[in-house]
Amino acid sequence: MIKKKEIERIAFFARLHLDDEEQKRMPEEIDSILQYIQRLRDVDINEIEPLFHFPELKNVVREDIAKTVDRETQKQMMAMGKDKDDYLKVESIL
Amino acid sequence: MKTTIKGVQEKIKKGETSHEEVFSSYLARIKERNETTNAFLTVFEKSKTVNEEKKELPLYGAFFAVKDNILIKEERCTAGSKILEHYVAPYTATVVEKILENGGVVVGKTNLDEFAMGSSTENSTFGPSRNPIDTERVPGGSSGGSAAAIADGMCNAGLGSDTGGSIRQPAAFCGVVGFKPTYGTVSRSGVMSMSSSFDQVGPFTNCVEDAETVFNVISGKDERDSVTSDLIKKETQENFRVGILKEYFVDGINQEVKRVLQEAIKKIEKAGLDVVEVSLPHTEYALPAYEIIMASEVSTNMARYDGIRYGLEFDRPAAKTMQDAYLKNRGEGFGKEVKRRIILGTYALSAGYYDAYYIRAQKIRTLIAEDFKSVFKKVDVVFAPTTPTLPFKIGEKVEDPLSMHLSDIFTVTANLAGLPAISLPCGKSGDFSVGAQVLADRFYEDKLFLAAKKFEKIWKS
Repeated sequence: MIKKKEIERIAFFARLHLDDEEQKRMPEEIDSILQYIQRLRDVDINEIEPLFHFPELKNVVREDIAKTVDRETQKQMMAMGKDKDDYLKVESIL
Repeated sequence: MKTTIKGVQEKIKKGETSHEEVFSSYLARIKERNETTNAFLTVFEKSKTVNEEKKELPLYGAFFAVKDNILIKEERCTAGSKILEHYVAPYTATVVEKILENGGVVVGKTNLDEFAMGSSTENSTFGPSRNPIDTERVPGGSSGGSAAAIADGMCNAGLGSDTGGSIRQPAAFCGVVGFKPTYGTVSRSGVMSMSSSFDQVGPFTNCVEDAETVFNVISGKDERDSVTSDLIKKETQENFRVGILKEYFVDGINQEVKRVLQEAIKKIEKAGLDVVEVSLPHTEYALPAYEIIMASEVSTNMARYDGIRYGLEFDRPAAKTMQDAYLKNRGEGFGKEVKRRIILGTYALSAGYYDAYYIRAQKIRTLIAEDFKSVFKKVDVVFAPTTPTLPFKIGEKVEDPLSMHLSDIFTVTANLAGLPAISLPCGKSGDFSVGAQVLADRFYEDKLFLAAKKFEKIWKS
């Protein structure tokens, strides 16, 4: 059974505040799913490669070139935050 | 009034109705019914109807309900979440652009489980959607709003996203057609990411042919979604072999669902189609593997919603540090199911557990894809149930996450293996339709549509 303390620790890593009810119920709910997925241990996975993506997909690359956007796009981007001249102003993080 | 896209096109051509008239009849239906079904979150009453010059375009006469995790420029896009309640999209998703370019009209944006996480459309901050066939029951999810809208005659087409069954399961519950294309055939640019190695956009329609028409419009390579390709097969083939997935007809499936499906199989056998039983030995591991990979990808994709970007007001005075602000914004902005999945995913990806959960699940994903690979050496398409049950009651499963997740047990395999899969009605149990699922190999949409159209004809006659 996953402990309440461990859920609290993970919730903090994930930057999620849990209210009292969630703190009470979450261990049991997560545990029921963890119990259900235990059956994956029965499978022999020796020499099996993980399928992170499908084989025909190739990585796509391009030159990293700065693009100039039109005035309208610029206006929309500015509308997303507080602006100062031609820059977006964001909350300080340090 | 349930009409196909093709049906509307023909009626307009014959002069029996006009494009404007069809649009106003859908708007009237929404006005009459939306309070009950809660299918639409936003209705575009002022959408421009398409003029006659465009009547040769493939989607002329198609009126779409678009899931509210797909962006339309300058319109609100909520994902059913409080954290995006006031978010306005800065650009339009490629799929919507393509629909509009091809004569389609968007009628409105539809309700969903928050960020597409759920199987009932109950996990929406805007309240549950209801199944139009029985409003005490769920329409399925997570694209339940789009499914309910088309099933209730509020439109004749819809768009949804399918990560583990979110198009096919609600299509089955509402008695319409729902199609999840091959992974990498339809652009996700402008579609909110949930689980990026599974997510795919697809249509809801009233017949298989319409689903094919919409797919032909929305598919294709898009430089804004780097997993898209032009590998779709275009072969013409008359005959096909059908495999019945043995493991999908065992315990846990509702007896009524089983009865209707078995009758449907009998009908296709009677029609002279070549039907054999096939086996996918790792079927029982599909849902547990999906749970881990999906939750892991969810936990990373949801990291961008910090309450600072994308709209939600930052409550600076109440939060002393950035840490507090994140905890508070995300704690209050996300609903229960999203939080559960973020926690499960963060746990599965954390040091010490990564190999035991995430890597193991990805290896089992390989085994599941290989199971299908060997089946498609024997048959062209496979037949399976879409859901293990008929639509359940609102409130019945929402407090029991595992039992809710089990609704997706027959649909997640297509996402794990990246296959195209369609759900279409194959018979009735009381007022409800039962959904049959048809799957094909990756990029063999041509075979899938050929078979599904044939089945549809047999089951309807």
